Amino acid sequence: MEQDLVERFEAVALPHLDAAYTLARYLMRDDATAQDVVQEAYLRALKYFDRFRGGDARAWVLAIVRNTSHTWRKRQSHYGVEFDERVHSESVEEQTPEAALLRAADREMVRRSLDQLPLELREVIVLREIQGLSYKEIAAVAGIPIGTVMSRLSRARGRLEQLLGVAAGRE
Amino acid sequence: MRCAEVEDRIGALADGELVEAEARDALEHLRSCPTCRAAHERVLALRTALEQHAPPLAAPDRLRAAVRARLEGPGLAARRPVSWRWLAAAAVVVGLIGGTWQVATTWSSGRALADQVLATHVRSLMPGHLTDVASTDQHTVKPWFNGRLDYSPAVTDFAAQGFPLIGGRLDYAGSRPVAALVYGRRQHVINVLLWPTGSGPAGGPAALTRQGYHMLHWVGPQYTYWVVSDLATAELGVFADLLRRAEAGAAPS
Repeated sequence: MEQDLVERFEAVALPHLDAAYTLARYLMRDDATAQDVVQEAYLRALKYFDRFRGGDARAWVLAIVRNTSHTWRKRQSHYGVEFDERVHSESVEEQTPEAALLRAADREMVRRSLDQLPLELREVIVLREIQGLSYKEIAAVAGIPIGTVMSRLSRARGRLEQLLGVAAGRE
Repeated sequence: MRCAEVEDRIGALADGELVEAEARDALEHLRSCPTCRAAHERVLALRTALEQHAPPLAAPDRLRAAVRARLEGPGLAARRPVSWRWLAAAAVVVGLIGGTWQVATTWSSGRALADQVLATHVRSLMPGHLTDVASTDQHTVKPWFNGRLDYSPAVTDFAAQGFPLIGGRLDYAGSRPVAALVYGRRQHVINVLLWPTGSGPAGGPAALTRQGYHMLHWVGPQYTYWVVSDLATAELGVFADLLRRAEAGAAPS
């Protein structure tokens, strides 16, 4: 009986492990922490599997990974390991769009800009641009209305453009 | 549309989230407004930068193993993989009864083949590897294989059934070049590898799950099929039925 449950759960949830890891990795910004978060998220998901009524399994798994990530960060900041969203942000200089586009082709810069986004902006841009979710799916994963998805995406893009040195002040 | 309205919609336009009429109006405005056009281009440029430098990631093997171990707990971990374990037992029994090692050999080569098929699927998901010929038109994909293989498989688009054809690819499995057909289902990619059935008996389908991917394998009268995807088994089964019916000549038109 229990074996059967685990097997059904694995068939539903394991195909989305890459997506789960991708989200956790970009949200937590650290490989080891991301792996811990995914493990905890999958145990949680199994626990609540009886509440899964079919439908979009990826969105369901991602919502649990997202919530686990948030809980994890709260726990860490509670113990004084504060995540400082603004660390390094003063290093971004004004530059011409041409130079900025060149910088945009730089891996380090793109990664660091992403890392500097506040969590609520980072999660929508990761779900949309890296994981290819629709607005409706993002709304379900993050537990926010579609209008909020749109305004957060717009802010996230403005901020990323700024961080990459392009067209400051769109926000 | 005026700038103020378009500004709000530039993201949605780039994300393909505007209805057709709105998208048309917004695009028309972009043509005449350099400011909004530049903003739209920035969204697309940002997308390119993210695509290049912040790709989706594959879960490390270590994590996959750890998740499985924690889900299945001690004592349960040993029962995977179910299908091939069962087949192995069956093969050994048949081998003993028949007094031959041939079936066992067939089984182990089947397992090696499953590994190869899975590897082609994983490789195909890497950027730029999915298709050699990208077309939703079955009449473009089928002739593409002419001259590249010594067979030309029938190609059917199942867009009407929710499995649109994405394209075709030449791949390599079972020590030979094979035809790979690529289909989509929402964001999921389905790979179909097929080659002419040899002298063996028709049978299947057999289902197995490896590294989170589902595979279906069967031997039809004309072609031998392997279907791989991260799509749920039930939906993959629906797709496999479409393929089998198409081969039987009862393709839904």
